Amino acid sequence: MSRASILNAIKKNKPESVPLPQIDLSLFHEDIDLVDIFYKNLESVGGRIVSLNTIEDLDAEIKKRYPNAKSIVSCSNTSQLATISISNETEPHSLESIDLAIIDAQFGVAENGAVWISENDFIVRALPFIANDLVLILSKNDICLHMHEAYNLISKRERTFGVFLSGPSKTADIEQCLVIGAQGAMSLTVFIF
Amino acid sequence: MSHAKEAELFNKDEAKVNWHDQALWFVRNKRDKAAHTVKGWEDLRNLASAIKANVLSNLDDYLVQFEENAQKNGIQVHWAGDAEAHNKIVHDILLQNNVKKVVKSKSMLTEECHLNPYLEAHGIEVIDTDLGERIVQLAKEPPSHIVLPAIHKTKEEVDALFQKHLGTVPSHGDPRYLTNEARKHLRDKFLKADAAITGVNFAVAETGGIVVCTNEGNADMGVHLAKVHIACMGIEKIIPEEKHLGVFLRLLARSATGQPITTYSSHFNKPVQGKEMHIVIVDNGRSEQLSREAFRSSLHCIRCGACMNTCPIYRRSGGHSYKATIPGPIGSILSPGMDLKKHSSLPFASTLCGSCSDVCPVKINIHEQLYQWRQIITKNVKQPVVKRSILKMAGIVLANSKLYGFLGRSSRFMLKHLPKSIVNSKINTWGKARDLPKVENDNFEDWYKKRKS
Amino acid sequence: MKVGLFIPCYVNQLYPKVGIATLELLEKLGVDVDYPTGQTCCGQPLGNSGYESDSKGSCQLFVENFKNYDYIVCPSGSCVYHVKKHFDILEQTEDVVNVRNNIYELSQFIFQVLGKTNVGASFPYKVGIHKSCHGLRGLRLGSCSERMDAHYSIEESLLKEVKGIQLKTLNRVDECCGFGGTFSIFEEAISVKMGKDRIQDHLSSDVEVITGTDQSCLMHLDGLINRNNQPLKVMHIAEILNSTL
Repeated sequence: MSRASILNAIKKNKPESVPLPQIDLSLFHEDIDLVDIFYKNLESVGGRIVSLNTIEDLDAEIKKRYPNAKSIVSCSNTSQLATISISNETEPHSLESIDLAIIDAQFGVAENGAVWISENDFIVRALPFIANDLVLILSKNDICLHMHEAYNLISKRERTFGVFLSGPSKTADIEQCLVIGAQGAMSLTVFIF
Repeated sequence: MSHAKEAELFNKDEAKVNWHDQALWFVRNKRDKAAHTVKGWEDLRNLASAIKANVLSNLDDYLVQFEENAQKNGIQVHWAGDAEAHNKIVHDILLQNNVKKVVKSKSMLTEECHLNPYLEAHGIEVIDTDLGERIVQLAKEPPSHIVLPAIHKTKEEVDALFQKHLGTVPSHGDPRYLTNEARKHLRDKFLKADAAITGVNFAVAETGGIVVCTNEGNADMGVHLAKVHIACMGIEKIIPEEKHLGVFLRLLARSATGQPITTYSSHFNKPVQGKEMHIVIVDNGRSEQLSREAFRSSLHCIRCGACMNTCPIYRRSGGHSYKATIPGPIGSILSPGMDLKKHSSLPFASTLCGSCSDVCPVKINIHEQLYQWRQIITKNVKQPVVKRSILKMAGIVLANSKLYGFLGRSSRFMLKHLPKSIVNSKINTWGKARDLPKVENDNFEDWYKKRKS
Repeated sequence: MKVGLFIPCYVNQLYPKVGIATLELLEKLGVDVDYPTGQTCCGQPLGNSGYESDSKGSCQLFVENFKNYDYIVCPSGSCVYHVKKHFDILEQTEDVVNVRNNIYELSQFIFQVLGKTNVGASFPYKVGIHKSCHGLRGLRLGSCSERMDAHYSIEESLLKEVKGIQLKTLNRVDECCGFGGTFSIFEEAISVKMGKDRIQDHLSSDVEVITGTDQSCLMHLDGLINRNNQPLKVMHIAEILNSTL
């Protein structure tokens, strides 16, 4: 069965057209403290949060949290901790021993503690997954309520690769015991300023 | 073997049944808590269901739109009518790229198509990289749950398995240690893989992009390291516009595991320069299911597994008792459409309690479809003589007041006067573990008539 | 208002006391009740077993027996649900449509049609409610744990008003008991296990009497309790609402 026969079968078998519903955002609106809810949800998914008094404290605070990190990639202009520089020519396998990746997050989502980052923010697609630990930098003013708002925020982006990231990698595949650090990053810390 | 027989075997070990039931009930509870935090949860379910209904009614157009947009972004799109065609397409792509080692993230579709044995028979190594899937792969078993593939395994069993296959030291089933060992083992596989195969959670017609959701990061580890990415999807994975992801991603993980969203919701729109990305669109019986009005909405399914976690039968019989790629309630309405005879006992593996339909994030009326499959199965698949004749006879008796009155009286007489040892004997299945009610002198109708006169 | 009483076949034959309590309770509440003799069954056992088409005769007979009443009341949510949900196999004549619209489960009738919650009963025991699935998720006699609706429960509303009663909260508030009609025979192992688990929940919740709106579920639980000599009693909600202990 080829493309044509699949499409023909569908055409023959599909029901009468059903209208596409509108999403009524008023159903989901809540007046809540976005930063507070974002904190709570990020913690519930195993992420850590460091609230910065000023963005100038960033590197000192990162060092405090990750004192043993040697191979560091920073894709953020606000951090000067990079020990390795990458470009879009970088072979992803070579990032296997990266201890820490530092990435600017575009925005956070209060309802689930996720942040959105896309290829431009981390240059090599494998980076946020292959690095042992992950640091994300987020402004308090860039937190939206829910996923409906989030998709509105990214509707005009250049679509290559992007990801909603909610906490460090994890699994509960062995007897439902939650273990942080599965195949991706072992820890995720969001530095909020 | 029928579901009932498999379930009876599973129930020989009551402690394990309790353990299995409680593990899944725990997940169901987490789901309840997560859903409670969402304002407008029921509205979200209604929206999701309505969007899916729209998708099915325009599916051919959306698929063509998706294909066009994907191709514009440099993604190669393939179409497979059935499992065999799917496997061959995947194999051909691997051959063209001289691939020997494949890492695969979770995809129920490739399970359905039995892709792994097909590729292995052609000399290709396929490593399942979701931890649960790796566990069952090492155990040479199929997944017993679509989200928690190894939910039937105790941590001690995993420990033994890892000692044998990964050379770990005994740890009394320490999940942290075992997970970390798996991480090291899988890292090596990711770094050496030539191609990565993933499933597809959602395919967006408007953009030609796909979304893949994992908690472990295994899909991304595979895709971003390998030179070829093959994503396999059923035709029903389409959604019209990207903004609809907002609806589905809010529902999916909360329904599945009680998380507010999966750890990684990765949006693939374009391959990296110099790498290949392929999407294989698979029918394999879905367009036929689309033709069945009563069962069409089973194609709304987003594979969250909530119906399994809530199903009191699934929890007490285990996923393997269904002998189907997709077990549990949703599997029991999908599988008969694939092979009616083979799966004819599944729609009867339910009390029609309806919990599955109310937990379903896309509002599939699962228990009503189970009822409808039963009507079809009794007409098309040979039923046990006793069951068939008793029920046919009952139809005649219940349509006739006099006959019913006579038979009611005589069976009550027998129940009352036969010795308990016969009433509760082995021939009477009810009586194996349950007493029959004590019979009074009059039935209600006798009493009513006496009272009136 | 003329009410026709539908007593399900197995209640008529095996649990006449439930039929009696239902009738007495409705009469106490001032309802003009009639029991049309010659009634048999709603056809549910056939439908649920996949033999719906063989049940047309009994469905037709049901409509014949009850077409002339303003309301039809039945002490079993499951049978009521079957009439409402599955009588679409009959031609939808005015009689059929009326019967489907006017049939109520007993507690639903008291609550929704009579508008009463206090029926003047007293029952000084610790009671656990078994929320039978077809009543709960079929007729929506209450909110179910799966949906995020505001909490309500018709059974609880009525039972709360019973003098002396102590309603106990279960660990799993609305899990199925495993009866499921012919499921109880053809999937015997799971059916029994589900029933045992429900009973254990009631025992652990300090319950003395299990009640509910469906005698079929209660029959299944009662059979297990009696076989295992467990310290629990099973009573239909009609018996408690009709009690003056």
